[in-house]
Amino acid sequence: MSYKVTEEGNISTVHLDGEIDMDVTEKAKEIIMPLIEAKKEVHLNLKEVQYMDSSGISVLIESHQKATELGTKVILKEISKSVLKVIMMAKLEQILNLD
Amino acid sequence: MNVAIKSITEQRDFVVSSSSLKEVRSFSREVFEKVNINQDLKDELVLAIAEAAQNIVKHAYQGEDTDDKMEIKISLEKGLLEIGFFDKGRPVEEKNVRHRKIDDIKPGGLGTFFIQQIMDAVVFKEGEKPWINHLVLTKNLNS
Repeated sequence: MSYKVTEEGNISTVHLDGEIDMDVTEKAKEIIMPLIEAKKEVHLNLKEVQYMDSSGISVLIESHQKATELGTKVILKEISKSVLKVIMMAKLEQILNLD
Repeated sequence: MNVAIKSITEQRDFVVSSSSLKEVRSFSREVFEKVNINQDLKDELVLAIAEAAQNIVKHAYQGEDTDDKMEIKISLEKGLLEIGFFDKGRPVEEKNVRHRKIDDIKPGGLGTFFIQQIMDAVVFKEGEKPWINHLVLTKNLNS
């Protein structure tokens, strides 16, 4: 997994790339959580994520919940087909913010 | 569904580690490339296999570092797919393996849910020596 973060005003956009599994979830959290804790609105661009498993979905849930707790939000952008399928399998399409 | 190849059996060992999961997926994709099923189903099967392997790392070994190997065996016979997982971790009791309630939104517990959604059957067996656990996932690809 690789990533790039861009900032515009109070919005931080994290572009994730590659496969997100248990082996990289800590790294993903290290990137995303500080942005949420800084009360940024975080956009996760998932266009280049070719694979995500339950560990990756857990990162999305945890990020969403932390953002809600801190009064900000995480929005999932340009979700790849394979990631959307897993989100829907987990029945989270109504819970997470999908754009 | 025409699964093209009538019979296939492939197995491989992997170090029990989260860093092996990518290799597990590559192996699974290589095997399913030989089977004439649609890409969506291939992706689902790869996910189910990776989730089961992840469960071995997370639960049978509780994330501990080890040199132990786990074995994954994928067999297809007349459209019936059987995937076996063998490990030497802590004995897994089937009654303790439950996915979380899907309405209970919290991180974790989704892997088993995905496996059950994708496969027809999930059976835990006692492993024959030297294995401790033997998990069998099956799916009829003819239906």
